[in-house]
Amino acid sequence: MNLALEFPTDGSAVPALSRKTPLVLAPFLGQTVLEHALAGLASEGVKRVRIEAGDQAEQIQRVVGQGEAWGLALEVSSALGRQDGLAPARVLTLDQLPQLPQQPLWRNYRDWFSAQQALMPVLARQRVGTREVSPGVFIGLRSRIAADARMSGPCWIGASVFVGPGAIIGPGTVIEDGSYVDAGAEIVGSIIGPQTYVGAFTEVRDSFAWGNELLHLDTGSLTKVADRFLLGELQVRRNRLGGLIDIIRNASRRFVALTRDTKTRSSSRQKTRLRALEENLPATALPSE
Amino acid sequence: MKIQYQAKILALSDIPELNAANSATLRDEARAALRDDQTSIDIDLCRTRFVDSSGLGMLIALHKTSVGRGGCVRILNPTPSVQQILELTRLHRVFEIVKAN
Repeated sequence: MNLALEFPTDGSAVPALSRKTPLVLAPFLGQTVLEHALAGLASEGVKRVRIEAGDQAEQIQRVVGQGEAWGLALEVSSALGRQDGLAPARVLTLDQLPQLPQQPLWRNYRDWFSAQQALMPVLARQRVGTREVSPGVFIGLRSRIAADARMSGPCWIGASVFVGPGAIIGPGTVIEDGSYVDAGAEIVGSIIGPQTYVGAFTEVRDSFAWGNELLHLDTGSLTKVADRFLLGELQVRRNRLGGLIDIIRNASRRFVALTRDTKTRSSSRQKTRLRALEENLPATALPSE
Repeated sequence: MKIQYQAKILALSDIPELNAANSATLRDEARAALRDDQTSIDIDLCRTRFVDSSGLGMLIALHKTSVGRGGCVRILNPTPSVQQILELTRLHRVFEIVKAN
């Protein structure tokens, strides 16, 4: 069977997802939406796929290659319409995944997030090395989770993720590959994008955090966080990651007072921490960009 | 920054940005403007489009000053971006945040 895959008809409701990459390359449980779609099509018996990529053909080609990863014969077309005169047996618009045809992806940010939560158990079984460590909690290869970090399902922790002491993850949370969640951070109902640093004792709730950008899933409000010890992009290679994390952690200690739960700490200790923060908070804490 | 006196409350408004360049100056101005009989500070952030860690430090400094007088700091009408920063740093649990209808 051959198939023409067209890109979403309307992504205007989710502009933040196409800021860094084409919409179909948005992160989705360890891969991109497009890669999961191709996997779904391959499992249905599709053999040949032409991707109508328009002006994004080059980027798409770099991601999907010739389709060998899925056993597909892939053609990435930059031209509109058919070039060879042969009609595909089927035309599919990537407004939803083949694995979950009833769940639209791009009506709003919650749709995209809901699709991920629905597919967690399915895609976890398909991803090599991902294991379910407790009901609804999936952890990928080479990830390190502190012994006293608390995780509640549904929760997806990708590959090569670090979760620090006292962190609270989930429920309803996705942490994509290569991210670093520092000590005491709390992430609930949110997605942390690939290669993202989440600062110590910060709180990410109902949001999508990718690099230094923070998007609220319900309001669509997008803000850039100026201070990398709060939220930032991890760009260094792994063998230098420890040094970078030390720099960030030293600066983030100044924010310890802000992120403790005021209900569980005495007022005198809180005052001490607030005073430390007020007196020591630097104008610029980190090396410049 | 605009400063207004409302009985026991010092009201600050018209703050486009709270950043490393201006936070110390604004903090000192606010403290200097605080009268002896005033205990609380209202900070209207409806026009504030950018806050960084230095700006948050300024808010905390004024919070300390106000609490020391038996009062509090209220953050009025934070923009969505500022609200996100306050929630990221958990400061939404330190300050009272008031939004106009």
